[in-house]
Amino acid sequence: MSEKVEIIERVSVPNGLKMILGLPDVGLVGAIAASHIISKLRLEEVAYFKSNLLPPVIMLEKGLPRSPIRVFGDKGILVLSSEIAIPSASIYAIMERIVDWVGEKKTEVIYTLGGLPVPNRHNIEKPKVFGAASNERLLKKLDENGIKAIERGFLVGPQALILNLCAEKGIPAVTLLAECFYNYPDPEASSIVIQALNRMIDMEIDVSELIEKGEEVRLAMRDMMRRTQAELARMKKSHEYDIPGYYIR
Amino acid sequence: MRRRRSIFDIIRERMEELEAIADEMLDQLVERPSWDVNAHSLEPLCDVSVSSDRVIVTADLPKADPRSIRVSGISDDLIEITANMKVKINFEDFGVTHRRGEFSRFSCRVSLPVPVDTNRAKARFRNGILEIILPRKKGYEIKVE
Repeated sequence: MSEKVEIIERVSVPNGLKMILGLPDVGLVGAIAASHIISKLRLEEVAYFKSNLLPPVIMLEKGLPRSPIRVFGDKGILVLSSEIAIPSASIYAIMERIVDWVGEKKTEVIYTLGGLPVPNRHNIEKPKVFGAASNERLLKKLDENGIKAIERGFLVGPQALILNLCAEKGIPAVTLLAECFYNYPDPEASSIVIQALNRMIDMEIDVSELIEKGEEVRLAMRDMMRRTQAELARMKKSHEYDIPGYYIR
Repeated sequence: MRRRRSIFDIIRERMEELEAIADEMLDQLVERPSWDVNAHSLEPLCDVSVSSDRVIVTADLPKADPRSIRVSGISDDLIEITANMKVKINFEDFGVTHRRGEFSRFSCRVSLPVPVDTNRAKARFRNGILEIILPRKKGYEIKVE
């Protein structure tokens, strides 16, 4: 049994597009955001993941089988979304394949959407967005759009590997993180991170529905949040709370 | 040539055993549905955090009717949270048509990892999140020289 990850295209995916990644993580910020963008822009499935490293789970949609991790597009943009939490043991293999594919497709830039867990989230009226990037030029772009870069801290999980691998391979990548709940679905944080994305890629994705239907979203995402919690514990996501060790400026 | 088992090997084996047990427990937590058709209830997401002087239990209760939220202590280390929902929802509302069931309330039981003083517990519902603060049982003071 070979342990590889394949990304199989259903239709020919053009080169040079922008890519958005929203995988299940804290507050399901990325997952909710990706799902919202896909439905708002009415994107179609263009590629899907196939791998023995994933649990034996498929989606059934209108009676037909679908891979749980899929890429949607086109309309000039690709969105990678997953219906399952990525098993922590398979993160390296899957993220490497994603970055390889992004390189093959000469993707213009990849944006990972996610959350910055904060313990007192329900005391925060308006969550802030922070960012990180794979090169100086994109850091400048974050700054120009009013998004503060994370000066110093830990990042754990799929988006951490993506950012690191992209920086290594010279693929432009940006990580956008909105303050969020660690363990509860946070559609408000998703709406804030999409608004930041709008500024960066000059789009106008409407988030009013996410805010109005926030309670519905939280109700619907309960089970995905539970599964994701188990994987977050395995990859020791709480490391992000740690204060990095002593350093000399 | 067989290597002799050193103390490090023994320690590593113990750690791997403990990790496997922890993993199993984690898996058991998710291996049942979050919904109960007979009781018409959904299990809300809950979280327990322990600090030096208190235990904080939170529960995410979207669409709950705030006046119906009830928190009760079942035993010294178990509390129960129930609430009615503002609207009834069923599987069809989530696009699931191969199951039948209607849900109108939240219900869950949370076990507390340390002893608490249930008489001084306080609960607050804000922004859809229920927060229960339970002061830990006070022990005795030990003077620091």
